[in-house]
Amino acid sequence: MPLQGDPTHSPNGVSRIRFRKPHILQSEGAAAIAFIAPAFLALALFRLLPTWYAVIESLKFKGAFVGIDNYRFLWSSESFRNCLKTTLIFGAIVNPLQIFAALVLALLFVQRLPGIRIWRSLVFLPVAVPLLVSAVVWGIALRPDDGLINAFLNLFGLPSQPFLTSDTQALPSIMLLVSWVGVGYWMTFLIAGLQDIPPDYAEAAALDGANWWKTLLQITLPLLRRPLAFVLVADTVANFLLFAPVQVLTRGGPAESTNLIMFEIYRQAYTFGDIGLASSQVVVVILVLLAIVSVQFRLLRGDGS
Amino acid sequence: MGPDVTGRDPLQPGRIVRFAILTPFAVIVSLVFALPLVWMTASAFRPPEQILRYLSPLSIKAFLPTSPTVASFDELATGPFPRSVLNHLIVAGTTVALGLLVCAMAAFGLSALRFRFQGALFAIVVVSFLIPFEAVAIPLATLFRSWRLDNSYAGLILPGIGNGLAIFLLRQFFLGLPVDLREAARLDGAGWWTIFWSIYIRLSKPALLVAGLILFVFQWQAYLWPLLIISDQRLELAPVTLAKFLGQFNFDFGQLFAGALIITVIPVMILIPLQSLFTQSISKSGLKE
Repeated sequence: MPLQGDPTHSPNGVSRIRFRKPHILQSEGAAAIAFIAPAFLALALFRLLPTWYAVIESLKFKGAFVGIDNYRFLWSSESFRNCLKTTLIFGAIVNPLQIFAALVLALLFVQRLPGIRIWRSLVFLPVAVPLLVSAVVWGIALRPDDGLINAFLNLFGLPSQPFLTSDTQALPSIMLLVSWVGVGYWMTFLIAGLQDIPPDYAEAAALDGANWWKTLLQITLPLLRRPLAFVLVADTVANFLLFAPVQVLTRGGPAESTNLIMFEIYRQAYTFGDIGLASSQVVVVILVLLAIVSVQFRLLRGDGS
Repeated sequence: MGPDVTGRDPLQPGRIVRFAILTPFAVIVSLVFALPLVWMTASAFRPPEQILRYLSPLSIKAFLPTSPTVASFDELATGPFPRSVLNHLIVAGTTVALGLLVCAMAAFGLSALRFRFQGALFAIVVVSFLIPFEAVAIPLATLFRSWRLDNSYAGLILPGIGNGLAIFLLRQFFLGLPVDLREAARLDGAGWWTIFWSIYIRLSKPALLVAGLILFVFQWQAYLWPLLIISDQRLELAPVTLAKFLGQFNFDFGQLFAGALIITVIPVMILIPLQSLFTQSISKSGLKE
């Protein structure tokens, strides 16, 4: 931050004399407050206030104060525990999978190959598609009787699969769809990170006789630590808050197998009308997010490099 | 890819490996990613009753519009869809314009000006943007209903204009501008607004472009929020209208694909040319500091 401790910064008094009309924006502090106010108001009203409101509402049942009863209920609720478990399993599989795929593709698409910009753009293309549209298109592609994916399976002599209509395949199907969207997106961050690594590092390693694999493990990956940490956290948060595909394709089913937490909250608030319980679930989500973010700070500050 | 002692960058393997193995692999991977979109595009231009025709057995014709027609688009034009696309453009456009002003002003206040609680204020901005909007959308929707902001453009636009990531990026960019410019203008008697508008904004075109893109994508990707606060069909946004098609018992595949294509083409035209600018700026802002 270049401005801090900047010796060229002149005191206000010098320039103030030259103002023709006295104005509220004359003083630097007052000006700063005026400039920041609209954004600050927006953040306070649309981010902080609803957080506070969720905390208050989570202590109520049908408008009456009930203390931590909603949380107690959540803790003992079989279906909420099942929802948490589904959300955790989903994250535990889809995040490493996406990051690994993004890393492999970043290493591939960072190469100077003929037409590489075109191939890279094609992988990035799904990112530009709104998630809801991807969900709709994949929903049709995954239809058990006449979908595109089963047509491919049949082409290779494999039997048709039930996909979204099966309680064992629905969650993996959603993983497939979000990875189609996500991998290209995270890949571009890793490519940016790879391009930031000075080529001298790899050249020095090559002079030392290091092969491709060794250079990757000992030089590239450690230098890619920050973009990787960023992608890990951002991807985890995005998948944790996944909503659209569940709402439009499976509505949490079959047999609650895709009941991810954002859909559970939506259903609690709008199908069952239990605002208190939904609010306590929102608070749980925010606490988990804060935990993830504090991990991010630790990873990014971290040791080494 | 064995030991490489020629002094060449070992992450850029030899010519033969590159052309014979990596290039075909890259092409196949990229085609797999593009295939669902090719299918979507071909299906949008197919006569509606033939959409799933070339799937069993799968034929290459599934990815080519065999007898191209815009029948599905014509159908779509008679329903609520054109209006919801227009709504979506109005909401996204207004969000970009207002959001850029609000976020750039905040970034200016947090970088070019100095005051006592700047650090604390910046910390609050950062923390509020670490809470993703989706996480608080459901309680906020209840608040918006009590404020009578549901079923209005204002209700759709307002949550999008204060964007922490956009503020962060612009602040980062403003910090890189030379302090001398500001000081010289001050000595010439320029007010802070003049300095903001004719120096900082003028010099920040690339950063403003990226911030505008962030604001646009936020609104174009929106689904949960419009679903929560809009029940009046005249104010519906395109993704919600599209999702409703899918919910109908006997939905029309042709219209679904045509609608999906329209919603997709708009951001693709904007995002693909700006792809590297976009990701580089975001990754930089997310990684430094």
